[in-house]
Amino acid sequence: MNTALALDALDASNPAIHLKIGVLTRQLHDSLQQLGFTEKLQGSAQELPDVKSRLSYISRLTGEAAEKVLTRVDQAKAEHEQINAQTRHVCTLLANDPAGMLANGHLTHYLDDMAKSSQLVDQHLTDIMMAQDFHDLTGQVIKKVVSLAATIEVQLVELLIQTAPVGATIKSDPEPKAPSELNLVGPVIDKENAQGAVTNQSEVDDLLASLGF
Amino acid sequence: MSSQLRFLVVDDLSTMRRIIRNLLKEIGFTEADEAEDGVVALQKLRNSTFDFVVSDINMPNMNGFELLGEIKKDAKLKHLPVLMVTAEARKEDIVLAAQQGAAGYIVKPFTKATLEDKLALILKKAGLQS
Repeated sequence: MNTALALDALDASNPAIHLKIGVLTRQLHDSLQQLGFTEKLQGSAQELPDVKSRLSYISRLTGEAAEKVLTRVDQAKAEHEQINAQTRHVCTLLANDPAGMLANGHLTHYLDDMAKSSQLVDQHLTDIMMAQDFHDLTGQVIKKVVSLAATIEVQLVELLIQTAPVGATIKSDPEPKAPSELNLVGPVIDKENAQGAVTNQSEVDDLLASLGF
Repeated sequence: MSSQLRFLVVDDLSTMRRIIRNLLKEIGFTEADEAEDGVVALQKLRNSTFDFVVSDINMPNMNGFELLGEIKKDAKLKHLPVLMVTAEARKEDIVLAAQQGAAGYIVKPFTKATLEDKLALILKKAGLQS
């Protein structure tokens, strides 16, 4: 916030100080009512629990993504170890009895296993890649939280300006920039209370089908 | 699926563009370009040839709905199938996308299978693949 305040020092010995505080309180109350700040600030306050659930959503999603990646890495590494062990075994067999390898079908068996293993490893890699989509979803939620913080900041600065005591010198940005308003709401963070929203792809498909699309 | 169809992937987040391009490649579509918002996407669509657009909705400068509207207004582009891939899960957004002419709608997070199924369906409908 680029706001600098240089307030006149209050003279505590002034006998009228009590009266002045009363007047300021009244001014604050009236200003809040006239400017609609009470409602605005109430609105922001009501959004705070939502911020809490949004932050929980971010924490949950990042945690799940990390778990998923680590699990898939473990599985891919195990698969890779098996490929390595089998390959070394086949190399030994080939060195000792190349004709037997072919005759017994060991080589064919090994190649089949390799194809299956590489398919599994590829699947794990795809899952690891897909787990990175948390970046997109949490990013949108973070933007919402930052936007709310900016709204509160703007409201508080306006409130400060409007309720400044007489004689106070206030320097602030000429026009505090309001956060950009987005009509879009981003991901569903609470599936159980997702009114008017779908929670999975089959609900999207059902909705579109019901409309003839 | 394997094809020489050219895709334009539109998303403001590079991670998502990369994920979608990689998935397209795995599915068999190796020809793809990308754009970070609707403005850049529209420029690329007008200056080059594409067969399919995969677009996010919530983007700066020009969002996915606006891009879809511009595509459907443009005589040279309106035939392009546009698949929305987005975190926007409100029913009104899904309905709006369909009414504006989106060929499909996928909510994030999604799976490779979902993308593959939707692409197959849309391409079949559009006569771009049997």
